[in-house]
Amino acid sequence: MKKIIDIFKNHRAIFLLPAVTLLFAVLFSVYITLNTGEKAEPELVVVSPHPTAFIIPLIKEFENETGINTEVISLGTTASLKRITSDENVDVLWGGSILTVGPYEDYFDEYKCENKEYFKDKFAGTDDTITCFTLVPSVIMINNDIIGDIKITGYKDLLNEELKGHIAFADPKKSSSSFEHLVNMLYAMGEKDPEAGFEYVEKFIENLDGNLLDSSSAVYEGVANGEYMVGLTFEEAAVTMLKSDKHISIIYMDEGVVSTPDGIYINKASKHKETAKAFADFMTGQNAQQFIAANLGRRSVRKDVPESGLVIPYEDINSIEVDKDKVISCKDKWIENFSLLFKEVNNE
Amino acid sequence: MNKETVSFRESIRRTFIRYSLVPVVAAAVVVLVIIGFSWTYSMAYLNQKDNRQTAEELTRIVNIYYQMVDDVEKSYVNNGYNVSKDETFKHIYTRCAEFGEIGNLIILSPDREVLFSSKNTVPFFLTGKQYSDWGIWYAIKENQGSTQTVLTEKSLCIGRGVYDGDTLKCAIVYIVPGDVISSMAGVKERFLAITDKNGWIYASNTKKLEDSYGKILDVYNKESGYIKQNNGLYYLCKSVTNKGLTIYTVDDMSHNIRIIMLLIGVIVFVFMGIVLITYRSTDKNSEKYTQDIKKIETAFEAVSNGDFNVSLNTDSSKEFKTIGSDFNEMLNGLKDQIEKNKELATNAAFSQLKQLESQLNPHFLFNTLDNIRFMAKIDAAKADKMIVSLSGILRYTIKDMRQEVPLFEDLDALQYYLNILQIRFNKRFKYEINVGDDIKECLIPKLLLQPILENAIKYGFEGREKLSVKIRGYQMADKLVFVCEDDGAGIDEERLTEIKESLDKDTNESNHYGLFNIHRRVKLMYKGDYGLSIDSKINEGCTVRIVLPKKLT
Repeated sequence: MKKIIDIFKNHRAIFLLPAVTLLFAVLFSVYITLNTGEKAEPELVVVSPHPTAFIIPLIKEFENETGINTEVISLGTTASLKRITSDENVDVLWGGSILTVGPYEDYFDEYKCENKEYFKDKFAGTDDTITCFTLVPSVIMINNDIIGDIKITGYKDLLNEELKGHIAFADPKKSSSSFEHLVNMLYAMGEKDPEAGFEYVEKFIENLDGNLLDSSSAVYEGVANGEYMVGLTFEEAAVTMLKSDKHISIIYMDEGVVSTPDGIYINKASKHKETAKAFADFMTGQNAQQFIAANLGRRSVRKDVPESGLVIPYEDINSIEVDKDKVISCKDKWIENFSLLFKEVNNE
Repeated sequence: MNKETVSFRESIRRTFIRYSLVPVVAAAVVVLVIIGFSWTYSMAYLNQKDNRQTAEELTRIVNIYYQMVDDVEKSYVNNGYNVSKDETFKHIYTRCAEFGEIGNLIILSPDREVLFSSKNTVPFFLTGKQYSDWGIWYAIKENQGSTQTVLTEKSLCIGRGVYDGDTLKCAIVYIVPGDVISSMAGVKERFLAITDKNGWIYASNTKKLEDSYGKILDVYNKESGYIKQNNGLYYLCKSVTNKGLTIYTVDDMSHNIRIIMLLIGVIVFVFMGIVLITYRSTDKNSEKYTQDIKKIETAFEAVSNGDFNVSLNTDSSKEFKTIGSDFNEMLNGLKDQIEKNKELATNAAFSQLKQLESQLNPHFLFNTLDNIRFMAKIDAAKADKMIVSLSGILRYTIKDMRQEVPLFEDLDALQYYLNILQIRFNKRFKYEINVGDDIKECLIPKLLLQPILENAIKYGFEGREKLSVKIRGYQMADKLVFVCEDDGAGIDEERLTEIKESLDKDTNESNHYGLFNIHRRVKLMYKGDYGLSIDSKINEGCTVRIVLPKKLT
C-alpha cells in the first residue's frame, strides 16, 4: 500500500485522471443545470381528503374551463388540515366536514362565495370562512356477499355478536368520517344527550374486537374487498364503491343520520387568492354541483340542483340535527373519551 | 520545491511513465468527455427530433378530423340545417380512409338529442343532463365558430357547434378512435405522453410520467430541459400543438449516466492497473536500459580506487558497445604505460644505486696505496696487513650484486677500512664501535658506514693532531639508528648549510658525494621517513645520524 502511495507521490501526473474526471463531472452538472427547464409554478394548490375518483373529473373540468393550472395534494382530513395550516403554498383545503375543520377557522380567509344565494338556507348561514361544498351523510356500508343473514338497519345491529371483529371503523383521531360517525352515534344513541351515547360507544368498541383502522379509505375499501362485513363510512364513498360494481349496500341508520356538509376553505396565507376564489365559485357552481350530484353520489348544497339519482332522497332519511358549536367545542374531549374507552376495553 | 538529483535510472523511469501514461490518460479523458457530451447532446437532439415529428404527425391527424368536422358542418348547413346520413358517412369515410377506423361522429341537437351517430352508441357525457355545460359541451358553447379538442373521460373529442347567427343549431362531435393516437405512443423507444392543454394524459407508453390522478407528473410541468426526479436524471422535450394537445417525450438519462459512470469506473480501474504494471515494467525497463550506465559507473569507480583489473562489457546498444571496448582499450593502454613506467623507474633507481654504491673514494685508494708503498719500506708486516685490508675492502665492494647485506658483514668490511686507517694514522686516530648484537643480523644498505667514517676523517683532521670517532648502532622502535660522532674540527657553517641543502635535493650539485650518496640510497631503497642527517659545530666535532627501517634477513 505504501508503495502505491509512493507511486502517486512521485508521479503527480497520475492525478490528472481523477482531476480531469472531476472537472468533467462539474462541467456536466453545470451543463445539466443550465439546461434545466423553467418550472411552471401551479397557479393553485389544493389539498384534499376526497377520493381520487372524485377529484379527477372535477379538477379536469375546472382546469378546462378556467385554464388555471391546479396541483392537487391528496391527504387524509387531519393531515390536510395540518398541511394547510402550516404551508402557505397550499391555497385551498377542499373537503373535510365543517365539524372537523371548524376549530381551525382562524387559519382561513373570509370569502362570500358568489353562489351563496343559491345555497339551501342551512348551508348559506355558515361563517364566511367556510364555503359549504356538499352534504355527506354518514352511512353504514355492508358487503352483501359475506354478511349472510345478519340484518342491519342501524347502530344497534352493530352490537350483534356475530359481527365481532368484522366491523371496519377508523380511528376518529385520524379520520374525519369516523369522527362524524362518533358524533352520529352520540346523538342518535344518547337520546338528546350526546354524553349518554358513550354507553353505546363502549359496547360498540367491544364489538370492534381491537380493530381500529388508520384511514377512511381503509374502511370502505376493506368492506368492498371483503376484509370486513360491515363498515362505518360516508355516503359518497359507498356510492363510489357501488358505481364500480362492488357488491355492497348502503344502510342509513334508522336511529338517525347526521349529515354535515363539507366545505371549501381558503388559506389566509395564500398567495393565489383569486384562483382560490375562482375554485370555490366553480365547485359551488351549478354545473359542478349538478355533475357531482348526478355522477359522484354527493348531495348538492344548492337549491337548484336536483337530488342525486344515485342515493335515496334526503326526505326518506331519518335525519337528525346536531349542535354544531357544541360538537366543535367537544371534539377533542369526545375523541379523547373514545381513545380511553378503546384502551380500557382492549386492556392496553 | 526542492529538487534532489535523481539517478539516471530513476529519471529514465519517470520519462517512461510520463511519456507512456500521461498521453494515454489524457486521451482517455478527452475521449470520455467527448463521448459523454456527444451522447447527452445527441440524446437530447434525437429526443427533440422525435418530439417534433410526433407533434407534426399528431397535428396532421387532428387536422384531418378538423377538416372532416368542417365537411360535415358544410353538408349540414347546405342541407338546410338537416342531417344527410349518406353525405355525412361519405365525408367520414373519405377522411378516415388512412386510419382504417371511422370512429364515432355524433351530431346532437342543442338539447343533447342524438341526430346522427356513425356508431350505434353515444357516450353518456354527450347526452346526460348534467353534462349540458360540462366538458365538450362547455367548450362548444363557449367557443362559437371554432373547433375544440377536449379530453373527456379518457376520450379525445373534437367538437364544433353549428350556429345560425347566435343560435346553436347542432353540435358535431367526433370521438377520435383510441388506437389512432395511442398507436403512435406505443412504438416509441422513449417515454411519451400526449396530454390535453392542462396536462391530463390521453395516451402514453408508460405510467412513469403519470400521477395518481392521471395527470402528467408535476415535475414535468416545465419547459424542455433536464429534470432531476427521484435521484434520476431525465431529459424532457415538450411541444404544444395548436390543437390543444401537448406532447411530452422523456429520456431517462440515469441509464446513460450509469453507463458513463461504469465506463469511468472501468477506465479508472484499468488505469490503476496500467499504472501499477507500467511502474513495474518501467522499473525493469529502466534497469535494463541503464544497466550499462551502471556498469560504466562501477568500472570508473574501480579505476579511481586504483583497481585496473576491470573490464567493461556493455552491449545493450552500439554506442555502449563502442564505449565499452574503447574503455577497455584505454585501460589496457594505461596499464601497459604504468607497467612500463614502473620498470623504467626501477631500472633508473637500480642504476643509480649501482652508481652510488660504487663510489669508493679514489682519494682513499690513492692514499692507501701511497701508504702501502711507504710502509713496505719501513715495516713490511704492516704493509702486508694494509694490502690484505685493502683487498678485503675491494673484494667486499665487488663481491656480489646485493644491495642489502646483514649488518655484521658491513661491520666486517668496515673493520678492513679501520685497519688501514689505524696503520695510516697510527696513534693520531682512535675509534670506538658500539653496535648491539641484537641488530647485527639486520639488513642495511651495503657499504653504509664506510662513507660516514670517511667523512669524519675528511673534516676531523683539519688542523688537528688527533681524532677519535665513536660509532653507535641501536634499535629504536622499529627503526635502526646509526650515529657517528667525532671530536674533530667540525664543519664550518657555510659548508654545513651547503651539505644540508644538497641532502634535500634529488641530485647532487655539491662536492659532498659520500653523505649525499648514502642519503640518496636510503631514500631510494626505503619509502618513508628515513635518511641521513648531519650536525656540526666548529672545533667541537661532527655528528652524522642515519635512520633505517629495521629489516631482518
